[in-house]
Amino acid sequence: MTMAADLLSCDVAVIGAGPAGLAAAKEAAAAGADVLCLDLYDRPGGQYAMQPGDPSGPLAASEAARLGRDLAEAARAAGVRLLSRAELFWAAPEGEGFLLYAALDGGAGALAVRARAVVVAAGAMERPLPFPGWTLPGVIGAGAAQRLVKSGGALPFGGKVVLAGTGAFLMAVASTFAKAGRRIDHFVERQPLRPLSSLTMLAPWPSRWSAAAGLLADLRRTGAQQHHGHAVTRALGRDRLEAVEIAPVDALGRPDLSRAERIGGVGALCIGYGFQPVIDATTALGADHAHNPALGGWHCLARPDSGETSRPGLYAAGETCGIGGMRPALVSGRIAGLSAAARVLGRTPDPGLMRSLAAELAKARRFAVSLAAHWPAPEAPPVPLPEAEVICRCEDVRLSDIRAAVQAGAAETFAVKMWTRAGMGPCQGRVCGAALAAALAEAGVPPGQAGYNRAHLPLRPVPMNAVHAALARTARPDTPGTGPA
Amino acid sequence: MTDLPHSADAVVVGGGILGAATARALARTGMKPLLLEARAFGGAVTGASLAAIGTHMHGIEEYPLLRHAGQLWSDLAEATGNPFEYNRQGKLCYILHPEDRAVGADWVAREQALGAEVALLTPEEAREREPLMTGPLIGATWAPDTATVNPFLGLRTVLRLAREAGATAVANTPVTALRIDGGRIAGVETSCGAVSAPHVVLTGGPWTARLAAMAGIVLPIRPRQAQCLASMRQPPGTIRRVISACERAGGVDSGYTQIQQAASGQVLFNTVTAPFDPPEGAQDHIHEVPPGFVLESIETLLMLFPSLAAQPLLRSWVRFEGVTPDSRFLAGSLPLPGLHVAAGDNGSGYCRALMLADHLVAAVTGAGGLPEDLAALAARFYAPMRFAQRDAA
Ligand SMILES: Cc1cc2nc3c(=O)[nH]c(=O)nc-3n(C[C@H](O)[C@H](O)[C@H](O)COP(=O)(O)OP(=O)(O)OC[C@H]3O[C@@H](n4cnc5c(N)ncnc54)[C@H](O)[C@@H]3O)c2cc1C
Ligand SMILES: Cc1cc2nc3c(=O)[nH]c(=O)nc-3n(C[C@H](O)[C@H](O)[C@H](O)COP(=O)(O)OP(=O)(O)OC[C@H]3O[C@@H](n4cnc5c(N)ncnc54)[C@H](O)[C@@H]3O)c2cc1C
Repeated sequence: MTMAADLLSCDVAVIGAGPAGLAAAKEAAAAGADVLCLDLYDRPGGQYAMQPGDPSGPLAASEAARLGRDLAEAARAAGVRLLSRAELFWAAPEGEGFLLYAALDGGAGALAVRARAVVVAAGAMERPLPFPGWTLPGVIGAGAAQRLVKSGGALPFGGKVVLAGTGAFLMAVASTFAKAGRRIDHFVERQPLRPLSSLTMLAPWPSRWSAAAGLLADLRRTGAQQHHGHAVTRALGRDRLEAVEIAPVDALGRPDLSRAERIGGVGALCIGYGFQPVIDATTALGADHAHNPALGGWHCLARPDSGETSRPGLYAAGETCGIGGMRPALVSGRIAGLSAAARVLGRTPDPGLMRSLAAELAKARRFAVSLAAHWPAPEAPPVPLPEAEVICRCEDVRLSDIRAAVQAGAAETFAVKMWTRAGMGPCQGRVCGAALAAALAEAGVPPGQAGYNRAHLPLRPVPMNAVHAALARTARPDTPGTGPA
Repeated sequence: MTDLPHSADAVVVGGGILGAATARALARTGMKPLLLEARAFGGAVTGASLAAIGTHMHGIEEYPLLRHAGQLWSDLAEATGNPFEYNRQGKLCYILHPEDRAVGADWVAREQALGAEVALLTPEEAREREPLMTGPLIGATWAPDTATVNPFLGLRTVLRLAREAGATAVANTPVTALRIDGGRIAGVETSCGAVSAPHVVLTGGPWTARLAAMAGIVLPIRPRQAQCLASMRQPPGTIRRVISACERAGGVDSGYTQIQQAASGQVLFNTVTAPFDPPEGAQDHIHEVPPGFVLESIETLLMLFPSLAAQPLLRSWVRFEGVTPDSRFLAGSLPLPGLHVAAGDNGSGYCRALMLADHLVAAVTGAGGLPEDLAALAARFYAPMRFAQRDAA
């Protein structure tokens, strides 16, 4: 137990170095605040603006990679201390300010941070929906597939690649594959092709036309056979994925199993039905949250004109406040960074600037809302699940167990967890949360009522000696550390 | 999900292990009890429990009752095919300081005199029973009769048996008032309607004083926080026994540590704080483990089991327990005819639940209950108004 932790102090701590976090950090530092920005990944950028593993590869020139580089550069130039491979594992109020604790380098080190204001821009994570066979090795999230391709890694197994699910994001993943020169064999989108309504949706947004055309061209470049109006109904295989079954869906999104077709020789099924906000830090700090399917479910409530949450000094930006994509993230990050800096420096932010940013944010969110309406993220699993389907894979809890729990009176996520252990594994409900909510919804409990598994210390699994080192640094001021207090 | 009936032979208020066990015991006499839970069955203390069942270092006077309480759990496991992971793995209380050796020896001698199979162990003997406990102990006490159960599955089983015996159990139905008519209890009001019943049993856990206050009765139950940390799954046999400190005096003030490995593989370690007067709304507020306790818990665990240092912590939780002035339950009839109580668990109510449920059967029905000699002991130890009578005297 001989690990020692750093203790850093700052005016504003920013959690997450995606577009929202980097924008927030840069604005706060440029306004004169001392800013520290923590991020879990190897390099700043987050999901969308992630830096490719190969800095001279084809992806490095992409718009997204350039955005990430520019934002990180601008933040550094403004004086932000950027810390990568730092995973927040606990946050607590201390007086008017906050204490944050992070594991460094996957738990090999630990860090405590004392901050006067905090901006949480923790982004989003995949919202996996169960379908028969979804736990077979070879089935991965579309977002995970995109990260793999960007980092230059290989997909789990050789064989055909199927990209499936729904939403604009699916096109973005296809585009990443195309830019990296990787093949996709089948592209399966739940929505039918609707050229007219797509054009109507895009018509008011001329600035997005070229991007949309680029996505379509990239999808063609992957060489994928396209199945619009289809959904994956089953993943098949003995010990790993071998085949994928798809079927056409009707106007209500129900697949017609009698017309299912089988794609054989599949090595990877990359599937995405949307994202959910990462809210562990904001729930730990006690901010108010709400549920809205159009925003990815449970999200942190922040004032659009300041980014402030229900907890004074705590700000939230980007997809922590709801799924919306890169543009609202950037603007909400700027708003939160400016407000947080103003708070700690005892100033009021320039009202003119804040007004125009708020208007810009509203506009960016309107586009996100129309995208979300065009590609509604399904809340229910795409096909009726068999009773024996595994819902919580950490603890091997099946749909039948969950139904029995509801039958016995468990009417919320918390109660189902206790009854069945669903959500008590390493993911603590992060991965199975949407599936559990769907199972509860099917049994008559709407997601807004079912709640979610609230994060407690530690927000993520962290070695005990790292937890100890970080907490000791603040709870016992005389604890020796590795750096200046 | 079940509809709320309009009447019942008895209403049991609170669906933790005490309430479920009481509903079952009443149903087994042929009554039709109704168990009402404010939120989720077992969602308060019961589901957060380490649920060790045993007698060692729990008190010499209460020993016969505790032995019976443990036997009831063991019998239940046998009768039901053990669907709740009853595991009689024994308890090791570690001794770190020379002055505590005498304390351990004293407990062992006094429990041996009552027929217990307890023993004082050398560090080598302790390590034989617990190979990864390589910390600096100078000895240990050993009680082979201690068992653990899975707290959720234990509750589920007892609830199922209660329903099978004729009890109705309804969740998400808080009791908001007690109905009193002609100087005796007449039923309860809930958020979903009223229920009339000639008997009401209060098993509301640490907040039972508030329920009794609805009838103008003051119960000296104060909440204290109990917290638990859980590691990621470890291989089976990482921690084989229930591990505890050799306590100087026993009871609340001595500090408390309990470490064990759940059947899920998670290593669980728990500590408690001193009782306090909670602010309004504390009951509904989600609490976090204070950092000082996390530090001390990790230090204790890693002092005893140094090889676990790099294992990941997964989760922590906080619950309230109900503490009474003498660390014993308040269980029996209250000074309002038809009103009864079983609360004030002092952090070891899981163990006592089945035994206290039988004790309450006698209070409610005037018949049955515990074996005669134990009934007399229970009536003396657990009399709910013992403090008021003492104060008056
Ligand atoms: C062996 C074992 C291992 C465990 N491992 C894990 C684990 O890995 N992960 C995990 O999440 N849990 C685990 N638990 C469950 C643990 O018991 C709960 O975490 C604990 O009950 C605390 O609840 P919480 O932290 O989930 O809920 P909190 O975050 O405290 O919130 C629970 C919510 O439910 C409400 N609630 C519902 N019903 C009630 C009720 N009757 N009384 C009071 N409040 C109620 C609370 O008010 C609150 O809003 C484990 C338990 C055991 C015994
Ligand atoms: C970390 C930890 C470790 C523990 N370890 C052990 C151990 O090893 N051995 C042991 O024996 N014990 C242990 N305990 C203690 C044990 O869990 C408790 O003593 C026992 O569960 C208490 O059960 P209960 O039914 O009295 O209380 P609870 O489980 O709290 O049940 C009371 C119920 O009443 C409900 N309620 C309250 N007010 C109302 C109302 N107005 N209307 C309707 N319902 C209401 C609540 O929602 C709650 O569900 C431990 C506890 C903790 C927290």
